[in-house]
Amino acid sequence: MKSRLLRVLLASFLSGNCLAGATLTPDLAAKLPPPATHKVQFRTEIKPILEASCVKCHGRGKSKGGFQLDTRETFLKPADSGPAAVPGKSEESYLIHLVSALNPDEVMPQKGSKLTAVQVGLLRAWIDQGLSWDEGVTFSKPLPVNLNPRRPALPPAARGVTNPIDRFLGSYFASRNASASPIVEDRQFARRVYMDAIGLLPPAEELGRFRTDRRKDKRERLVRRLLSDNQRYAQHWLTFWNDALRNDYAGTGYIDGGRKQITGWLYSALATNLAYDEFVGQLINPTRESEGFTKGIVWRGAVNASQTPPLQAAQNISQVFMGVNLKCASCHDSFINDWSLADAYGLANIYADEPLEMFQCDTATGKKAPTRFIFSELGAIEAGMPKTNRLERLAEIICDKRDGRLSRTIVNRLWARFMGRGLVEPVDDMEQEAWHQDLLDWLAEDLVDHGYNLKRTMELILTSRAYQMPSVSLEEPKGGAFVFSGPAVRRLTSEQFRDALSVLTGLWHERPDGEFDFMAGTGRDRETMFARDLKPLWIWNNAAALDSAPTNQTVYFRRRILIPERATEASVVCAADNKFTLYVNGNKVGESNDYERPRLLDLKPYLLKGENVIAVEATNTGDKPSFAGLLFYARVRHVGKTGGRERIMDFASDQEWVWSTSKTEGWERPNHDEQSWASAYVLDVGKLGRADGHQYMAARFSRILSGPLQHGKARAALVRADPLALALGRPNREQVITTRASAATTLQALELTNGLTLDNFLKRGAERLAGEGPLSAAILIDRLYQRALSRPPTGEEIAAAREVIGDPIQKSGIEDLLWAVAMLPEFQLIQ
Amino acid sequence: MHPIHQTSRRGFLKTAGAATLSALAANYPRRVLGGEEPLEKIKPTADTLIVLFMGGGMASTETFDPKRYAPFEAGMKPDKYLSTFPSIDTVVDSIKISKGLERLAKVMDRGALIRTYTAGDLGFILHTRHQYQWHTGYAPPQTVAAPHIGGIVARTLGPRDPALPAFINIGQRFDVGEGEELKSFHASGFLGSEFGPFNIPYPDQAAESVKPPAGMSPGRFQDRNKLYRKLLDSSPIGRHGSAYQRDSLLRSMDNAHRLLSSPAAKAFDLSLEPKESLAKYVPEGFDPGKLGASLIRDGSYEKQTIGRFGLGCLLARRLTEAGARFIEVGTEYIPFLNWDTHENGHTKLVNMKNMIDGPVSQLVLDLEERGLLNRTLIVLASEFSRDALIEGKPDKKVKDQVDVPEIINDLKNYGMHRHFTDAGSVLLFGGGIKKGHLHGVTADERPCKTLKDRVVIEDLHATLFHALGISPKTAYEIEQRPFYVTRDGLGKPIKELFA
Repeated sequence: MKSRLLRVLLASFLSGNCLAGATLTPDLAAKLPPPATHKVQFRTEIKPILEASCVKCHGRGKSKGGFQLDTRETFLKPADSGPAAVPGKSEESYLIHLVSALNPDEVMPQKGSKLTAVQVGLLRAWIDQGLSWDEGVTFSKPLPVNLNPRRPALPPAARGVTNPIDRFLGSYFASRNASASPIVEDRQFARRVYMDAIGLLPPAEELGRFRTDRRKDKRERLVRRLLSDNQRYAQHWLTFWNDALRNDYAGTGYIDGGRKQITGWLYSALATNLAYDEFVGQLINPTRESEGFTKGIVWRGAVNASQTPPLQAAQNISQVFMGVNLKCASCHDSFINDWSLADAYGLANIYADEPLEMFQCDTATGKKAPTRFIFSELGAIEAGMPKTNRLERLAEIICDKRDGRLSRTIVNRLWARFMGRGLVEPVDDMEQEAWHQDLLDWLAEDLVDHGYNLKRTMELILTSRAYQMPSVSLEEPKGGAFVFSGPAVRRLTSEQFRDALSVLTGLWHERPDGEFDFMAGTGRDRETMFARDLKPLWIWNNAAALDSAPTNQTVYFRRRILIPERATEASVVCAADNKFTLYVNGNKVGESNDYERPRLLDLKPYLLKGENVIAVEATNTGDKPSFAGLLFYARVRHVGKTGGRERIMDFASDQEWVWSTSKTEGWERPNHDEQSWASAYVLDVGKLGRADGHQYMAARFSRILSGPLQHGKARAALVRADPLALALGRPNREQVITTRASAATTLQALELTNGLTLDNFLKRGAERLAGEGPLSAAILIDRLYQRALSRPPTGEEIAAAREVIGDPIQKSGIEDLLWAVAMLPEFQLIQ
Repeated sequence: MHPIHQTSRRGFLKTAGAATLSALAANYPRRVLGGEEPLEKIKPTADTLIVLFMGGGMASTETFDPKRYAPFEAGMKPDKYLSTFPSIDTVVDSIKISKGLERLAKVMDRGALIRTYTAGDLGFILHTRHQYQWHTGYAPPQTVAAPHIGGIVARTLGPRDPALPAFINIGQRFDVGEGEELKSFHASGFLGSEFGPFNIPYPDQAAESVKPPAGMSPGRFQDRNKLYRKLLDSSPIGRHGSAYQRDSLLRSMDNAHRLLSSPAAKAFDLSLEPKESLAKYVPEGFDPGKLGASLIRDGSYEKQTIGRFGLGCLLARRLTEAGARFIEVGTEYIPFLNWDTHENGHTKLVNMKNMIDGPVSQLVLDLEERGLLNRTLIVLASEFSRDALIEGKPDKKVKDQVDVPEIINDLKNYGMHRHFTDAGSVLLFGGGIKKGHLHGVTADERPCKTLKDRVVIEDLHATLFHALGISPKTAYEIEQRPFYVTRDGLGKPIKELFA
């Protein structure tokens, strides 16, 4: 009975009859809680009720059922079921019917606690008394923080303080009766800046030169010199960006092709200091080389709706570049910020092939979100654009100068790296205000003004007096807001620690695990990768191979090569259009079916001292005649009979090779008769034009070949994580990590104390140190201290160390000294 | 995530801002306090949790839920059998289990058996993905690194004996197939490495993990430590001031040294165990030197390494006695080995059952004898079960991974070779759990699905946590939001399982 009445009532709303007033029958009206009898106060009595029970669905940008209570005006605007309230007539107001639960199926709020009779009474009195609304009160979505660019005036330079950061901080310190002095001495400054710019300990000789340098601007010079060391810079910052972009050389997802590396692209981008807007643009609107970031990580099996690759892309782009947490909103309207499910899906749609159906906590909603960027005020993305255009447009929007969030987010991250704490914290929540907003805003615009050159911002920070202040302990302040009083003491990252041990011992990782172009950023021509007068050439059996080699034609190639001594290291890069199998001395070494993926293979196990035969079976495939070719470059290292320096011997695909198209028995074996074989034909790929893939291949080739050049010199960021690296906090990179845990843990200490990885390293390291030539204990101890701690040992330390090192020097003693020094906080902390 | 109740959400938000700095300093996630709805206080019935994990998919119809048996006959159809072993009686009248588990049959009156554990619907099967879900309650990928339940226990309760790591993980190597996936959940995730696993991949070498590095004499180890102390004293950072980072480093070194020189470390040393008690955990004639057998799929691997899990159980007993908090012992997941039977299911299970029957029952008896069983909860489980024909669930079949011939002529095709997720067995002993109790009913004919009292991971976790006195709604803060120790805080302890 009751519910039929309400349906009639509802029908009257829907028919637009509502303004006439939906008069309740007396028995229903009697069920309403009575209105409060006093004069109600909007701010103290009504606003709290609206905030607690209504705003989540009807305010802060949301308008469920077409009802939005942002302002008095929107409150009274008829919603889908008519107006919520009739001023002066609470009994006729639909809002009151709903919150009074007249119909158990139609109760507001739908979620959370229902209103009490007292609360309903207050609302009734408020409506009856004319629905007053205090000036300025709004429940609308707050304006985004840190979004629009802002250019505060740079305070004047004073008393020799020229660095813009210090100029901003001058009044900050003054108002707190503090100052940016004293600053740390040279040794400490150098350790900091070496670690921060290139992630390595300062070599003793360089440190010595720096300390005796009398020039006034020597610190600025040092910072600039380190930042311009493109290789070391890239190999250090790789750690930070691998964490942030979830890139690694092994990890979850790779097993089923559910993940793709961006290693090659990332390393080159860092080594060439790609402008940050372009860097971000190439990740958002990716090439094949950089698409791994937005492709996401997929494990075998069905993917939960909130973790499909487009939603992962939305979450990660927002977090890394915009300092926005969309993770909650990928599942439901967020409880911790104002982002909604529609915001997350709107961005994800840009990456989806079709607009995605929204799932709220794993339940299909049947709705789709409009395709848009989370800050739609920065620009629209036309619905119906093809995906490639959508990505292009998204990159344009995010990398536009009007997007002040992009620049603020990255300068804040850099500040946090160097100072131990961001201007905004947490660094992934850029909705928060900075503790020095002018400084953040200025740094962000300065980055934009300097062509998004991150090294410019780094230089500003690293040369500021603020950075040179004595370090402080990062502890929880006892109440009150954060106050900057100097950079925080920081712990070496797992990679910095391992590299520092390598600097100490000269012992690095054997080889990099990713595909890096070590020529990037060197300023050297790629061709210099190859030995003089030697370069890999595309070869086949005749000129037709340039465009019309027969389909499924197989050509057999052989090359005899004399290796004077047993190889200590031998690598080859080989590619064939379309596939190849490589043999050395009759043994199969490897094969590839993908002409776009040259293979790096280890030849060492197959090579003999003396004559060797390289044999390659190469096949052109495809459904019509096309280009066919083989490309090969090998580098062999060997040490002469009398020992001494390692020699390098290269050989490559060229006219020295011979070919045959008939597969005869034993063609790949060393003693096969080559009489009927002809000289290889060298293809002039220059004729193919610049854009052709075969030109691109040569570049790719030199990149791959540059890897073995790093033989025995690979830094920790370039190799897979070992148990020591994991124990010291290298993340598994299944999630975006922008800040690593800094506290030392017992498990780390155990790994350092009796773990196999470090123990093996120390054994080999001690051997290497012992091999640095005849050493006295005193020299060895001094050398270790200089390298590890950038200072000479004290008398006390020498005495303690001597006792362990023994006389004559014991290798085990060196091991133990290395360990003890490496465990010191003085070694493990950046002070 | 489910909607948090309004009032508690606001309670949470109020505390979120203040957390930032302390979180920064330590980078440890804070415990989320219950806001206006304080967490239920639970009286623990167990102090130690031991998880015995049967990685690879333990077929329940071949172990703890036997069904219609048909012996191997060339020419038989694969739907002729539901079990390849006959059933046997146990000391509990209502419970029958599979032949080959005779010693466990004798201790079934000490615990409860769940037959209706239901794994998640994760599509095309990947063992490690289901194992991730079993161990964390969440299916990967996740936006934050979900912690292993051992990490949660370590974080929430801490160690029982401060000299022992709170989370000890025995028997799983990570350099095997799916190693990266295995690593990703044998970890404390966002809780931080302080609460991560102390890994002992080879139980026979456990003593090495708490000893000086190989080849280093105790004397040299002590001298090395003395040198470190001396250098520390004379180092400027060692002497002056007080700083959070430095203190944290020094404390961690002290803790490690304490473990390495603590009497509790003896618990790791299996050589101290009397011969006769060792014999109760490893099959007769087993050669511990063969633990590194090569990973061959013809059944010889399991045969050679059959005593490894037993050594793990023995180690778990010793560690429980010494005051460990959370111990996992795995039969070890290696793709296509151990419980991961894609062929030769019947033959391999003879070994697998032999591998667990003695050690698990002995662990129960030993802890009982020592008066520890009533405060120690032992759980034996697997990521899912197996079936001869159905891959996935009867109503949610997924892509087949194994071809099953229409007629079985070869013994190698006789067994449970597909992955079945609708009903699996879980054993629980001690720690306040009912004795001689059977939970859940499964169908007697294929599909042998769950008929009554379905158990899902969040409820199983809630049950384990409940025994330890941890509310399933316990949450830790990550990226300013609560992360619940049971999936979205939804886990409900299975009260019928408690005595």
